[in-house]
Amino acid sequence: MTPKICVKNLSKHFTAGVSTVQTLDNVNLRVNDGEFVTLVGPSGCGKSTLFNIIVGLLPPDEGLLLIDGEQQPHDHLLGQVAFMPQRDMLLPWRTVLDNAILAAEIDGVARATARQRAMDSLDRFGLGGFESHYPSQLSGGMRQRVALMRTFMFDREIMLLDEPFGALDALTRALMQRWLLEVWEGEKRTVLFITHDIDEAIYLGDRVLVMSARPGHIKLDKEVALARPRAPDIITRPEFVELKRELLATIEDESLKAFAAMNRSVSDKEAGGR
Amino acid sequence: MSRRSSIGRFTAQLFALLAIFVAWEWSVWLFEISHDKLPPLSVVLSTMWFDRAPLAAAVGTTLLEAVLGLMAGTATGVVSGIAFSRSRLLERMFLPYFVASQAIPIIAFGAIIIMWFGNGIASKVIIALYLSFFPVAVNTLRGIRSVGEGEIGLLRSFGASPTAILFKLQLPAALPSIMTAVRLGASLALVGAIVGEWFGASQGLGVVLLMAMFDYRIPQLWAGILLTGLTGVSLYAAIVFLHKRIAWWQVEA
Repeated sequence: MTPKICVKNLSKHFTAGVSTVQTLDNVNLRVNDGEFVTLVGPSGCGKSTLFNIIVGLLPPDEGLLLIDGEQQPHDHLLGQVAFMPQRDMLLPWRTVLDNAILAAEIDGVARATARQRAMDSLDRFGLGGFESHYPSQLSGGMRQRVALMRTFMFDREIMLLDEPFGALDALTRALMQRWLLEVWEGEKRTVLFITHDIDEAIYLGDRVLVMSARPGHIKLDKEVALARPRAPDIITRPEFVELKRELLATIEDESLKAFAAMNRSVSDKEAGGR
Repeated sequence: MSRRSSIGRFTAQLFALLAIFVAWEWSVWLFEISHDKLPPLSVVLSTMWFDRAPLAAAVGTTLLEAVLGLMAGTATGVVSGIAFSRSRLLERMFLPYFVASQAIPIIAFGAIIIMWFGNGIASKVIIALYLSFFPVAVNTLRGIRSVGEGEIGLLRSFGASPTAILFKLQLPAALPSIMTAVRLGASLALVGAIVGEWFGASQGLGVVLLMAMFDYRIPQLWAGILLTGLTGVSLYAAIVFLHKRIAWWQVEA
């Protein structure tokens, strides 16, 4: 089967003044049609950069990006992938309803049509009755749901979600995860989901990819052999715990490397300052 | 701001104004101030009442000039702000001259404007435009530039064109700072209209002030001053009201 998304030997560096930072180094990954793949890694490993490249916002230095087996020039995918960044980025002057239809509206769907469609799915996103509220009147969890709804309303086969629940408290986060799975199981879109929470990565994913410390590459690619639909208490099952143990070992290794690199650069700076 | 406390504040302000008026009236009698220096408020008010028809016409003319000038200035400011935000070259070429233009006092070339555009309403509108466009241009540019890379990236990921990004993201985001500049522009536009009238006009508050000064009609001069203040405050209040209506999500002080 041709994978929906295929990333081959992707590399990216950034230059800031005289110093060069290699952010991604030879990233290879594939996501099959309808698959939910989660991506975990230490902070600063280039996960968001990888997303920006797949979305088409950044050109890679090297490497290929194939969608349905076809090679994509760098900005070809703008408008082709439903992307949700870390921050909700709701527009304060738009109501919940009008924020939810923003992507669809830009896509050329008539406002009235888009609004009607959004009204019909408000309940599914737990936003029923809030259509005329403004973002400043909402809690963090609700704002995040509006942002997710905006992403879902942008009718694309591929969804890239960058730590959508990162800023939420543990309880809200657990509820949102369950809810996301329900919505996704109804649509079966191809999802690539960034998180730094291992439980979340296992609970949501068909497969978990672990990214290394910078320069980032895919360190581990692990199938999650847990049946769907998954009950919330699945996280206490032995298979889950066993998988978590294995992932933790790899991630901890990488986090330590990232931490050491950070300390090194701090002491370099201190040494340079003397 | 709760309704109650804003009513309380309004009452307090009204009270202070009344106190000033009473102090004005009494101190003229009490200290036997010459009416040529400061006529009592009662005399000013009765003059105002006596001349109400021409004074109302003067306020109407000046207000019209200021409002038209402010609208033209806002339009010019917003369009040039957008142009600068689109092109660094345009900004580099013209922004320094915009800044320099503000360093030339209108007094220096007001006469030329009257010669070019006549002593009717057009010349005053142009002077008001000249005084009010600059803050709007700068704040439009600033507001557009303040939109984050992330927000722009998000809209681009939806396939938005630069025009869509401008109209759906950058301009709405700039609206609060544009409205702040329009507030400032409102006061400047009124000054522009009156200064324009000094250089040559047949009607308006500027004419009222100038004539009263030349003829040494002190109560008329004070009537003109009070009405100019009232016009300025009303215009400002109208813009603040508008600001709260159209850019309610962020009202800068």
